[in-house]
Amino acid sequence: MFRTAILRSAAAASRTAMRPSAAAGRFAIAPASRTGSFVPKTVAWQAVRCYASGSSLEKTEVYERIKQLLSGFDKVNDPSNITESAHFANDLGLDSLDTVEVVMAIEEEFSIEIPDKDADTIHSVEKAVEYIVSQPDAN
Amino acid sequence: MRLSGLQKDVLALYRQCIRECRKKPEASRKHFQAFARTEFEKNIKVDKRDFSAIEFLLRKGRRQLDVYASPGVKDIK
Repeated sequence: MFRTAILRSAAAASRTAMRPSAAAGRFAIAPASRTGSFVPKTVAWQAVRCYASGSSLEKTEVYERIKQLLSGFDKVNDPSNITESAHFANDLGLDSLDTVEVVMAIEEEFSIEIPDKDADTIHSVEKAVEYIVSQPDAN
Repeated sequence: MRLSGLQKDVLALYRQCIRECRKKPEASRKHFQAFARTEFEKNIKVDKRDFSAIEFLLRKGRRQLDVYASPGVKDIK
């Protein structure tokens, strides 16, 4: 969150820096070249990924996102049934094809790929949260 | 619920169908997904011990997936 705030302010700063130079650029070359060197710097900064920042997700956050996803899924029998221990088939009234759809949606939400072998074992919200937390690539 | 190998194959095919759907243009993705779903539901009543029928349907489904996965197919009604 902090990083995006910095990025946003940096982008805003470069935008305001660009504007006067566009007007002045026709008359003077020096200011234009100064902003010219400023813009690539922010771009380079954006390209840097902060690998040190927290890689694994919090259990509660994962649960909230899965809950959000499930409540948008119209085949769930009752949104109030979505709890941390809810079973897709027994508690939420989903059939096996729905379960596949949910697991695929989770896959998309956290931008990971779940191999078939693991996807077959995810039958409940609890299992899904556990799996996502154990995946270092999930975000 | 424990699934047999054949049941896992069916779910794997469905998963593959959804994966292919994602490669389609955004606007028609829903149509492809709904189509895949109805194709599976057409045979939802097949007995789970009727192996030859399920194997036949799996082969048929895979062939169908191959046809619809071609990038030339952009939408489905």
